[in-house]
Amino acid sequence: MKKQGDIMEQIAISMEGLKVKFPNEKSFLFMDLSLTVKQGEKVLLVGPSGGGKSTLLKILAGIIPNSVEIPMKYTNSILPERYGYVFQDPDSQFCMPYADEEIAFVLENLQIPFQKMAELIPYYLDTVGLHLSDIHTKINQLSGGMKQRLAIASVLALQPDVLFLDEPTAMLDEEGTDQVWDSVMKIASDKTVIIVEHKIEQVYDFVDRIIMINTAGEIIADGEPYKMIEEHLDLFRKYGIWYPGVWKGLNKPSFQNQLSFNPAITITQLTGYKIKKEIIHIDTAHVTKGDWIAITGANGSGKSTLLQSLAKLIKTKGTVHYSFTQDIPFYRKVGFVFQNPELQFVTNTVYDELAFSLLNIPLSEQEKRQRISDHLAIFQLDHVKNIHPFQLSVGQMKRLSIAAITIMEPEILLLDEPTFGQDAANTFRMLDYFVSLHQKGTTILMVTHDQQISEHFATAEWTMDAGKLLTISTKRTCRVEGKQNVLGL
Amino acid sequence: MFLDFSNKSTWLNQVNPSFKLLLFVFLFVGLLFIDNIHFYLYFTIGLLIIYFLMTGFPIKWLLIFISPFFIIFLSSFISMALFGEGETLWYRFGMIHITQESFFRGIHLGLRGIIFGFLGLIFALTTKPVMFFYSTMQQYRLKPKLAYSFMAAIRLLPMVAEEVYVLKQALKVRGVIFPKGISGFYQRLKYYSVPILAQSIRRAHRIAIAMEAKQFDGNAKRTYYYQSGYSYHDIWFCLLLLGGIMICFFLQNNFTFLPVERVIN
Repeated sequence: MKKQGDIMEQIAISMEGLKVKFPNEKSFLFMDLSLTVKQGEKVLLVGPSGGGKSTLLKILAGIIPNSVEIPMKYTNSILPERYGYVFQDPDSQFCMPYADEEIAFVLENLQIPFQKMAELIPYYLDTVGLHLSDIHTKINQLSGGMKQRLAIASVLALQPDVLFLDEPTAMLDEEGTDQVWDSVMKIASDKTVIIVEHKIEQVYDFVDRIIMINTAGEIIADGEPYKMIEEHLDLFRKYGIWYPGVWKGLNKPSFQNQLSFNPAITITQLTGYKIKKEIIHIDTAHVTKGDWIAITGANGSGKSTLLQSLAKLIKTKGTVHYSFTQDIPFYRKVGFVFQNPELQFVTNTVYDELAFSLLNIPLSEQEKRQRISDHLAIFQLDHVKNIHPFQLSVGQMKRLSIAAITIMEPEILLLDEPTFGQDAANTFRMLDYFVSLHQKGTTILMVTHDQQISEHFATAEWTMDAGKLLTISTKRTCRVEGKQNVLGL
Repeated sequence: MFLDFSNKSTWLNQVNPSFKLLLFVFLFVGLLFIDNIHFYLYFTIGLLIIYFLMTGFPIKWLLIFISPFFIIFLSSFISMALFGEGETLWYRFGMIHITQESFFRGIHLGLRGIIFGFLGLIFALTTKPVMFFYSTMQQYRLKPKLAYSFMAAIRLLPMVAEEVYVLKQALKVRGVIFPKGISGFYQRLKYYSVPILAQSIRRAHRIAIAMEAKQFDGNAKRTYYYQSGYSYHDIWFCLLLLGGIMICFFLQNNFTFLPVERVIN
């Protein structure tokens, strides 16, 4: 690294005139991008999904082009000699089965003698606040937040000058998110840290500088956090970034229509099993037609299992009575949207995916085509209708997985964490659509860990704890009325 | 080895894994040249003792693990016994003709299947995959690139199992009904393999990048967290196998009770 000026002014990373173009795309991802980060600075990169933040982070770390080959050019650069990179997906950044082995893997790479490892491994685990009763613990027994802490511990073993965090909390719940930022703040005081993240509430106080990149890969704003929020709030909204207080600016949906009192689902003495083990047990509960129920609770409290029990996807005892007649297939009346959209696709194009859902529904070809094109428009998938579902972006995949179910117009919609890992724009777009379905009379049951969604939209909240329904709190007895635009754009 | 419930560790776990594999490979090959049916019988009894007493697993699981090999035993025995050639005819009914030679050749073939099953299971149940790869890297200079690819891949297996489970539910929800017969099998294969492969490839790619970001170099020199070497356990294991084979030879020569001694291939 070059030494220039006093310590405060030392440059950790510098990139000048960066040009990047993906092989099969017409436009440049980055065109003459220049960026300098001082040593010890904490920088947050924000911007719309698909704007290339993650790619930029990988370029600054040197992962591109060293490990991933993408054609790129630059006039001048200073890149860190030693860096640590924490990835988004907690399940695909480890290569060893046990926690201690994963850190040992890094120490082995650095050719540290094995005698020293025995003290270094607990040291790094301790540094990030991951207190395991036995360091030889299986990684797949850790929660998402603990896994990401382990990822941080293992990159600390590289003794990095710069720490890159690539949406480290995107796939975590609130508790896990807190754990991760807790660890980062503990260890980062003397390090340069560059973060890509769209949930910025927790890092807002930690970073010195926010850089915003637009869809064209240009830096459009750069400054101290409070100034950025003050001066560029419109951009935060436009690009769907979760800035502090994002919910305050919403048009709250108004609830006016009185709910009917016809039960849609009646649950009595329901027990749900997984691998012959009792996971949930619910004595009695009712869902009224037109309800929007938010199912909340800690990790492992049985929220998803409850949903799966209602959808008859796992073995159950007891009764779940549905009010509709049983003359047509169950899954046309009860729609279920999984958390991971990728496992729901069965055809080769986005269009066919929607057509598949209508296969056995008695509509004319004309009506089917109309319904498909309507849905493509609502979910903003029209421009990608001929490509394979796996080629979609994460947000698009999620929208398609919902569209493929709602196109059947089910009476009851079961959603497992539909907004999980989505940026603000995608989340609000989805909620908008759910509101419109709810207005038309669809009953919605939704597992969520977002208290705000429960507060703003639900008619009732079910709180689960250790497989039991702890509380049922009624939020409102009315249904949404009138056209809503949640995002208020 | 891919099974994830090795709870009790016995002295067989302490035997150097790659040395253990080497010995087993010798046994596999050596057994092909033995055609004495008494030897096979005694050897099976020996392995039975090792399998049930020295692997440290509950009897129930051990019985479940070995059950497929009994099916192999039965099927190879029956097909050989009923249709094989021979001179001393015992029974004849249409195409079926059981002769003394074919009967014992069937037993011989079936036992061979069972023995291979026992050996494989004994190895798998007493060897941790991570230890196996550490020892092949250290004793037999396997490239870290290969060893770590395998270890990372083993980590992926439970995730794939989980995905298959979710996929099954998802297909149900989407209203996919598979037709019966071969076309249904083909469709099932397509619906399951494409998403699972796509996910796995993507995940493997991500893990590879993460490994390189952690300064992994598949060809470079490295230190080892687990030190793997030889110990007196290896000598014991060697002696156990050699002694067992000697005893089998002794019994084969002195205690014969079947009318046929050798099966001619």
